Amino acid sequence: MPRIGGKILPLFRGRSGFVSGEEISRELNVSRTAVWKHINRLRTEGYVIDAIPSQGYRLVSNPDIMSAEEIAAETGAKNVIGSKIVCLGETGSTNAEAFRMAAEGEAHGTVVFAESQLNGKGRLGRRWESPPGANIYCSVILRPDIMPHEAPQLTFVSAVAVARAIRISTSLAPSIKWPNDIMLQGRKVAGLLNEMSAETDRINFVILGIGVNVNMTGEQFPPDIRYPATSLFLEHGDRLSRNDFAAVMLKELDQLYCGFVADGFAPARMEWQSLCNANGRAVTVSDSGREVVSGMFAGIDDDGAMLVRRGGSDIVRILTGDVRIS
Amino acid sequence: MDVKDLKVLIKMITETDITEFEMENADEKIVLKRGPRGELVAMAAPASYIASPQTVHMPSFPPAAHSAAPSAPAADEESGETVNSPIVGTFYRAPAPDAAPYVEAGQVVEKGQVLCIVEAMKLMNEIEAEFRCRIVKVCKENAQAVEFGDPLFLVERV
Repeated sequence: MPRIGGKILPLFRGRSGFVSGEEISRELNVSRTAVWKHINRLRTEGYVIDAIPSQGYRLVSNPDIMSAEEIAAETGAKNVIGSKIVCLGETGSTNAEAFRMAAEGEAHGTVVFAESQLNGKGRLGRRWESPPGANIYCSVILRPDIMPHEAPQLTFVSAVAVARAIRISTSLAPSIKWPNDIMLQGRKVAGLLNEMSAETDRINFVILGIGVNVNMTGEQFPPDIRYPATSLFLEHGDRLSRNDFAAVMLKELDQLYCGFVADGFAPARMEWQSLCNANGRAVTVSDSGREVVSGMFAGIDDDGAMLVRRGGSDIVRILTGDVRIS
Repeated sequence: MDVKDLKVLIKMITETDITEFEMENADEKIVLKRGPRGELVAMAAPASYIASPQTVHMPSFPPAAHSAAPSAPAADEESGETVNSPIVGTFYRAPAPDAAPYVEAGQVVEKGQVLCIVEAMKLMNEIEAEFRCRIVKVCKENAQAVEFGDPLFLVERV
């Protein structure tokens, strides 16, 4: 049976009342019997749909599961990012899965989501807490036509996209800790980790890994977590639809990425700079447990490297490390 | 592309000054490189087509258009190949601080095997061996900053 469930769902959007079976059958050009079958299929996926003989169908509630069709219905068919969306149940890590898919030829723009990750990962083998059904675990496959040394700029493109999505979806005002931790009230709400497969002079592919704590509750955070962490639910007070959030995020990423391809790094860099939590502040950078430098934050350069002013005019360029705002 | 066509292609290219040629379509990717350090002809196809891409080390093709062909590579140059960093960043020998290094000096690694990570701005670049080789020397310390093009490993084809 073709997947027309995803085409029925938009017909329910923006309506609180019933949609007649006749209308659905006309809009999708299928028989009334086929409509009934597809409605039942949506029900098995967790959609609660009322059916009243003389009135038609009414969508009562969406299942709280990641759905490629729901996300795609919002992002639009023309977008590069999300041209194909894959939603997995439990997986090792979406980055590992996307990396494997890309190595086997998966197309530019494909996005992988998962309900939960067994080995959600952060920098240097750190763990990213990934309980089922609560958060966004997402990896985007890109095959950008840029040189490998320019690829770190994408870190800032995706960070701005996630910050925008949070602002649009919740009206909260996130900031960004260099290079791409998304913060709310000094607590980390999203973590991004990118991976690249490249040769000396060409990129095979880049995986943008995005983890956003959406509906995570206080008890779901491990007690030994490295940083103060939070979720959109804890800051905002309401549970969010993860599919809606994912769609907003992919739309923003698409717009920013297309801008990056057309106009270069400057626009994303400027927006990143305006969202950075270190403007005018003193910072301390450490890496692998030892302190690298302390000084005043002096922006980022064309590569995205953090500039730290130590003493008078001595500028230190930072490419990796953990940043603490003093 | 069959072997006959590949031979024609190689002949065409060696008759010009081109030192690097790359062609890609839906079925296959062909990379031809030549230079004073010895010619490498690599032909790869998507995983769905052949399980493992082949790399063929070819003997020198003296360019027909030049009367003075480049001299054959010296043996020590041949064993002095390096794996260089494609980006500026921090060099990590292991996936995590408490994990074992990906490779040690003396070890023989397969084509495609991960040798190290170079990180810049939270972009992790896993550097893989482009051919089967023995790691002669690890050129950088763990967590050391590396520049674009810096040698990371001295390797020897096996």
